[in-house]
Amino acid sequence: MIASVAFRNFKALRSTGLALSPFNLVIGPNGSGKTSLIQAVLQLHNLARLPLRQSGAETERRPEGAEITFRFSPPYDGLEASLGCVSDTMCDLLQVIPLSTGEGVDDWAGLRARLLTVRNYMFEHTAIAAPSSDRDYAELTLNGGNLATVLSARRIHHPEEFARLAAELFRMMPEYDEIEFVELPGRLIDLKLRLADTAEWVVAENLSQGTLYVLALLTLVFDPAPPAIICIEELDRGVHPRMLREMRDLLYRLSYPKETGSQKPPVQVIVTTHSPYLLDLFRDHPEEVVITEKHGAAARFTRLDQCADLTNVLSSGSLGDLWFSGVIGGVPEEK
Amino acid sequence: MKLAILSESPADEAAIAVLVEAVIGHKFTRVQSSLRARGWPSVAQVLPSIIRHLHFNTDADGLIVVVDSDDSVVHTAPHEAPEYYHPMCRMCQLRAIFRQTMKKLPPAHGRDRILRGVGVAVPAVEAWYLCGLEDSVTEANWIAGQTAAQPPYTRRQLKGRAYGTERPNLYQETEIAVREARRHARDTRRLEYDFPGFASLASELRAWPKVS
Ligand SMILES: [Zn+2]
Repeated sequence: MIASVAFRNFKALRSTGLALSPFNLVIGPNGSGKTSLIQAVLQLHNLARLPLRQSGAETERRPEGAEITFRFSPPYDGLEASLGCVSDTMCDLLQVIPLSTGEGVDDWAGLRARLLTVRNYMFEHTAIAAPSSDRDYAELTLNGGNLATVLSARRIHHPEEFARLAAELFRMMPEYDEIEFVELPGRLIDLKLRLADTAEWVVAENLSQGTLYVLALLTLVFDPAPPAIICIEELDRGVHPRMLREMRDLLYRLSYPKETGSQKPPVQVIVTTHSPYLLDLFRDHPEEVVITEKHGAAARFTRLDQCADLTNVLSSGSLGDLWFSGVIGGVPEEK
Repeated sequence: MKLAILSESPADEAAIAVLVEAVIGHKFTRVQSSLRARGWPSVAQVLPSIIRHLHFNTDADGLIVVVDSDDSVVHTAPHEAPEYYHPMCRMCQLRAIFRQTMKKLPPAHGRDRILRGVGVAVPAVEAWYLCGLEDSVTEANWIAGQTAAQPPYTRRQLKGRAYGTERPNLYQETEIAVREARRHARDTRRLEYDFPGFASLASELRAWPKVS
């Protein structure tokens, strides 16, 4: 979907660019641009909703103002989207520029429709565990707070997809064998899982943080109409290190649907993490790892596969340990 | 017989269990089925603690450890000479860790020591799964490639060929790992011939004293 992003004078991203893969794991210290990358994608999504600004708007831009430029993969590689910024943090001018090569030069409408589906998540287990309004069923919200409603609606409207989701949940967490929804006063919906051993029901607020995050992720993976791009901040939060493989596998189903026999369109995934254990899982796919670094006031992106002498570096330890050691970058600066 | 298996993923463990049963010729009971290592060098770092734990806190008869060689030095016949130890060979290293750790242990649970089974998959366990399906996938070919600085395949390619995708999920990986292990279990000779890193494990297992 997004092939590359280039930043100029946007916050700490003075001059840096990045090619994006179908799946992207972003690592780096706080304040190094992990969130800025996601913010830029979301701002593109927000501005795509509005009518395009005419070229006269160019004059509103400061010549040295911030700029974020997006290129896309086919069938939209004939277009470039440029976010012009009125300050170095606020970008509110979207220009779409036809390129001399590539497809989709005349199809801003098609690209726009895809960009409108972009979604960002930062799951919070307390929000996921709370009952949600039965009217809030359209799509999962930022913190996963309407999970029960979204899933109960999916069971009604997309029973096959729901059945696949449930089967995957019980495979990943064999301690459960049934999922059910409860209507509460005030038009609220709660969810509960049944313990396979004792047939006892466990309501959402008593489920573990990890179980709730897995449920949220499954909700995204078994979405009958998946978005073009999903961003998830701090994927590893509250998840046992040994569950991270399953989390990665789930997200790969989104990015590479054909590999698991799905006919759905691929979803570009951008995930941030601070977990060396999650990073360990990308040893064979360094091109999927984005390292953000800050030197002084300036931050930049590099891909792990661009790391000098990567094969030798990888021979000496696990990727997570190498990251912690500082060898591959992406660690806080120390004075 | 009660055995523990240490490897890098539950998929590998399931396959290794099948291969071990084929070599020892009977079923065994898994003890401490939750052991796991984060790859090299983590295996070597945690192995002494795991050996001590199994020795003192369980009634395990043996511990089987299987790791990938990745790009490290492959264990070859000269390494088998008495007193020989190659510091860059994972087989030599793991055997040494077993020896060092068990030397200091007093008897426990009615046995002097935990039996040892060490295997090294060259360059990765997926090569074992492809053995017999692709003639070019052998330990000898890998060593020849290392010598010529032209590896015949990468880990990533082996995964792609073994699982049909470079990004198998755990379920796909386990299914295929167990399927291929069952294929070898009918007759382990080809795997032992093409992969001395498996043959070493098999001969250790066969040399174990009979445990009731
Ligand atoms: Zn050796």
